[in-house]
Amino acid sequence: MIGAMVVGIWALSFGSGFMQSFLIGYIESAIRYETSNGQIHHPSFMEDQDIKFTIGDPLKVVAYLKEQSAVRGICARSLVNGMISSARQATGVRIVGVNPVEEADVTHLDSLIADGEYFSTVLSNPVLIGEKLAEKLKVKVKAKVVLTFQDANGNITAGRFRVAGILHAASLVINESSAYVRKDDLNRLLNINAAIHEIAYITNPGTDDQALADQLNKKFPNEKTSSWQELSPALVFMQQWMGAILKVLIVVIMTALAFGIVNTMLMAVLERIRELGVLMALGMNRGRVFLMIMMETIFLTTIGGPLGLIAGYATISYLGEKGIDLSSYSEGLEAIGYESVLYPSLGTTDYIQIVVGVLITAILASIYPAWKAIQYNPVEAIHTL
Amino acid sequence: MATLIEATGISKVYHKTTVPVHAVNNMDLTIEEGEFTAIVGPSGCGKTTLLNILGGLDYPSSGKVEIAGVDITDMKDRDLIDFRLSNIGFVFQAYNLIPVLTAVENVEFIMLLQKKGKKEREVRARELLIQMSMGDKLDSRPGELAGGQQQRVAVARALASKPRFILADEPTANLDSASTENLLNLMSQINTEQHTTFVFSTHDQRVMDKAKRLVTLQDGAIISDTRR
Repeated sequence: MIGAMVVGIWALSFGSGFMQSFLIGYIESAIRYETSNGQIHHPSFMEDQDIKFTIGDPLKVVAYLKEQSAVRGICARSLVNGMISSARQATGVRIVGVNPVEEADVTHLDSLIADGEYFSTVLSNPVLIGEKLAEKLKVKVKAKVVLTFQDANGNITAGRFRVAGILHAASLVINESSAYVRKDDLNRLLNINAAIHEIAYITNPGTDDQALADQLNKKFPNEKTSSWQELSPALVFMQQWMGAILKVLIVVIMTALAFGIVNTMLMAVLERIRELGVLMALGMNRGRVFLMIMMETIFLTTIGGPLGLIAGYATISYLGEKGIDLSSYSEGLEAIGYESVLYPSLGTTDYIQIVVGVLITAILASIYPAWKAIQYNPVEAIHTL
Repeated sequence: MATLIEATGISKVYHKTTVPVHAVNNMDLTIEEGEFTAIVGPSGCGKTTLLNILGGLDYPSSGKVEIAGVDITDMKDRDLIDFRLSNIGFVFQAYNLIPVLTAVENVEFIMLLQKKGKKEREVRARELLIQMSMGDKLDSRPGELAGGQQQRVAVARALASKPRFILADEPTANLDSASTENLLNLMSQINTEQHTTFVFSTHDQRVMDKAKRLVTLQDGAIISDTRR
């Protein structure tokens, strides 16, 4: 039974840690590369991404954000939807005008370079695109591409860019449908001078992003600040969905554990019918016999539980450091936006919940064997072979 | 001598098969304090059933049993367990000691159920085991003891709760001659010196020879009752 308990608790801790790594990895990846912790736009920009919807006084907003201790990185972008064409193919993209230094600080875009360099290899009109997009366009580093879009005056304009780097990211947005150019290059073509469409910011761990967004909305009522939860309801759904799956997993493992306990304790009772009969014949009342079986189960749990937790903690700590390399499934994982290396983790609260859950399971699971034990008639029990 | 056990018109019918089995059939039996009684008869005559009913381990189908004037047939199961704990000692054919406890702990166990203090338990358990010539085996577990030695520990355990009487179901059935002789001498000595009442079920001639009263059963009824 101790073995079953150890394996059950280990499976529960590791399973929870693994699921958390999926969830946290996905959300962190999405926040880091796509939404940041929050974004500020013109109130109409999110509904109609017209280039005329620029932020009124971006310098004032940026200055205020810099004063906030919770904010640890800010970047300003200009955005336009357009076409990217190579000699072989053309496709729709979101063209993002960035300040390379700010962008590297906030989204670590520079860390995603798989080929070429981060804006520096090409002096004139460099562009970064994702691997999938490069494949689609059949282009490599230093290849020429043309970006076509509508400028501030409503004229169709085009600019010749050269691929400075190819990005490798789990994010589908980066990989397939974005082209990163320097903000100055884009703004010149758009004819919008220094105007910007988006300010993204990242915050310190533990920050209440929604509260900060609310605070910014109060401070700048003419702009619209959205937290990552508002920017990507899918992430919130994902968080809730994974939470539900985790609960189902816990229930499944706890149920298996409960059956294991019931089975083992029933065997223990059946093996000791005679002994239980003697105890009852001698004068041990049924309440005490019931309690004895329950205490025995809890005692076994208190031995198996910590061993299982130690095994789970050790596994999670080791794999949390080394990571679980799922690169053999990386194509499939990245297709749905996951990183191919997962880092399992569990917080103290999770461990406490597991301990409490296992203890409650053990107590509930011991009721039936204990009840079964007191159903025996001492006379029949004593004469059982 | 005062009456200790009085069974009046007791019957026990088992319905485990399609034909009811009358294990004990309208039996009257009185046991006086200090008696050394053997209930004898062939297998299936109802000895063990009678002992179970007298010991409050089983309820009769009809009739009543009074122990020291207390009707135990009307008692609830919980009260009966408490009554057994304070009034009746049991010795079983297969000894039925708790295998994980030492001899002294086995004897102490029943006093633990009676909520006696640790010191009192230890002293009495040691005294009883020494009285049963088991002084050198106090810390031995049942698995380390011979059959006769285990049965002596079982008798010490039965005596530990200071019961009004001891019921012993075929106590010598698994013992060799020397162990049987030894055990019977000890129980006879306790009966003589301390006036402890013993009721045995047996078909062992050596027990019958030692008994001061012989109650013979056949087909669930008493066919003879002789005192010596």
